[in-house]
Amino acid sequence: MIKAVVLHTPGGPENLSWEDWDLPPPAAGEARVRQTFAGLNYVDTYLRSGRYPLATLPVVLGREAAGVVETLGDGVDTVRVGDRVAYSSHLGGYAEANNVPADRLVSLPDDVSDELAAAMMLKGMTAQFLVRQTRPLGPGDTLLYHAAAGGVGLIACQWAKHLGATVIGTVGSADKAARAKAHGCDHVINYNEEDFLERVMALTGGVGVDFVCDAVGRTTIEKSMQALAHHGVLASYGAASGQVAPETWAKMPPERFLVKTTLPGYTKTREQLLAAANDLFAVVRSGAVRIEINQRYALKDAAQAHADLEGRKTTGSTVFVI
Amino acid sequence: MTKAIRLHAFGGPEVLVYEDVDVPAPGPGEVRLDQTAAGVNYLDIYHRTGNHFANLVPPATPGVEAVGIVGAVGAGVTNVKPGDKAAYPLTAGGYAAARLVPASALMRVPDGIDDRDLAATYMKGLTVGHMLNDLTTFAPGDFILWHAAAGGVGLIACQWAKHLGLTVIGTVSSDEKAARAKAAGCDHAILYSKENFADRVREITDGKLCQAVYDGVGADTWLDSLKCVRPYGVCASFGLASGPLPPLGFADIPAEGFVTRASVAAVVRDRPTYEKGAATFFDVLKKGIITPHIEHALPLAEAAEAHRLLESRKTTGSLVLLP
Repeated sequence: MIKAVVLHTPGGPENLSWEDWDLPPPAAGEARVRQTFAGLNYVDTYLRSGRYPLATLPVVLGREAAGVVETLGDGVDTVRVGDRVAYSSHLGGYAEANNVPADRLVSLPDDVSDELAAAMMLKGMTAQFLVRQTRPLGPGDTLLYHAAAGGVGLIACQWAKHLGATVIGTVGSADKAARAKAHGCDHVINYNEEDFLERVMALTGGVGVDFVCDAVGRTTIEKSMQALAHHGVLASYGAASGQVAPETWAKMPPERFLVKTTLPGYTKTREQLLAAANDLFAVVRSGAVRIEINQRYALKDAAQAHADLEGRKTTGSTVFVI
Repeated sequence: MTKAIRLHAFGGPEVLVYEDVDVPAPGPGEVRLDQTAAGVNYLDIYHRTGNHFANLVPPATPGVEAVGIVGAVGAGVTNVKPGDKAAYPLTAGGYAAARLVPASALMRVPDGIDDRDLAATYMKGLTVGHMLNDLTTFAPGDFILWHAAAGGVGLIACQWAKHLGLTVIGTVSSDEKAARAKAAGCDHAILYSKENFADRVREITDGKLCQAVYDGVGADTWLDSLKCVRPYGVCASFGLASGPLPPLGFADIPAEGFVTRASVAAVVRDRPTYEKGAATFFDVLKKGIITPHIEHALPLAEAAEAHRLLESRKTTGSLVLLP
């Protein structure tokens, strides 16, 4: 028996309850991870509220955690007992322990702490595939990143800047504008105060940008399309403001690329997973990308953490100390 | 005074009238081209009938591509000079013995390329080059899917793609067309009337799907085409022969696939892109990698007959008009 944050019924933060949880022994191919830190992500709140459906209930939320391998199921040869590991592929982060398919676990280098790993395995890996794979950025490229002061945004914008790109970020407040500026954005647009499309066109001399990262969806996607330069790429990897209407996709201007991306899509094989993780570790260890852990909560206070995240009281990464 | 086909009203082939026309001296940025061969494309029929693709307003001269000799140049023209052989795509007014053309649309033609061969393939070749060279990158053996592989554009695509080392899957409407596509380099021809092409593509590629899917058909094929592209590959719409693209639900968008609409217009619009695209095409044409098949070369005065032949769907190769 372990302790975990359990969701029995989708609803408000108060539906997250700290209780005993029966974790079976690891199945074949799985490793049990004794967890030390777990990350908090916006997607957790969507699953909790019921906006994104869950396949089974009750469930332990959390898709980002780190810890130590405690026991192995049959046939596991990718990790050993005692290895420090992290993952971002499976639910069950909000718990003292979790059983995870061993080929989805990434071993942590000595100088990447459990806490740091828990703060970046989902957000940092998302940033990795965007700026290094979906549309690899380099000098001369221009990026438009929506929600630049969000958890993924702060990482992606620093990384894009480090790669030599010109980074334009959108934010919703003056506070967030300052934070985005301090994390790689050359230009910050407060979308509550000005039309981001007009501003992007002015900033790029009417040419548009090479890459737009849009996880906002309904409210931004049409102008995101129009903000693209010739052969620019629009990555849609979320819909925080709601799903995009089918007619809208047809409005993509010609000679631009639309791509629907997810982290699982870029980490299908273990080789892809490790390559992306090592790329992330390298850029963080170099100091070029800083992961800011600005909030720490005890796991039993998960409800408060969710309320704070939804109340827009958090910045950067948030971790649970287990 | 020179001769041209004039369209005074939309209608059947009979509205294509052979008339005397004046070609004034070229203005700034213009060139007078004395034409030796003009291409006939299906687009010309849309222009003649005034259907929803039409953007030609009578009275006008149809035809969108031709080859000829530069007769005179206007002020500021530097890319061609009188006596040069030159060609242009995508510029209405092609069914004429002589005409004015914006210099920006003209490309000097290197020696060793036959006028008729070029008139029969220029726009199609630039289109295929754009699709194969500008939208994605390939590894040898990668699969591509090309709809209407036995059509004018499709046959060029099969030859060129094969030359690039790709494995070509094509859709066709008959056994006869399947044979023709195969002769041009198509490795797997799918009879779309008999089998679901998306299922067949999955079988042929052993579930790996295609690095690139090229869809000039539109309404009838687009949603299934999107099922044929693999992650990180590209699915490009470059024509709407069966009607406009249907609305696209989020679930219809292939994960990690790059979805785009592309056309030769983007090549011609930007001079450096156009120069590169034209040079690449001239090269494959000259080397015989693309072998034009001209089925009918008719006098310019018989443009109406050319349209009848094209509309009868009995033609299997290209048509050119000779002023």
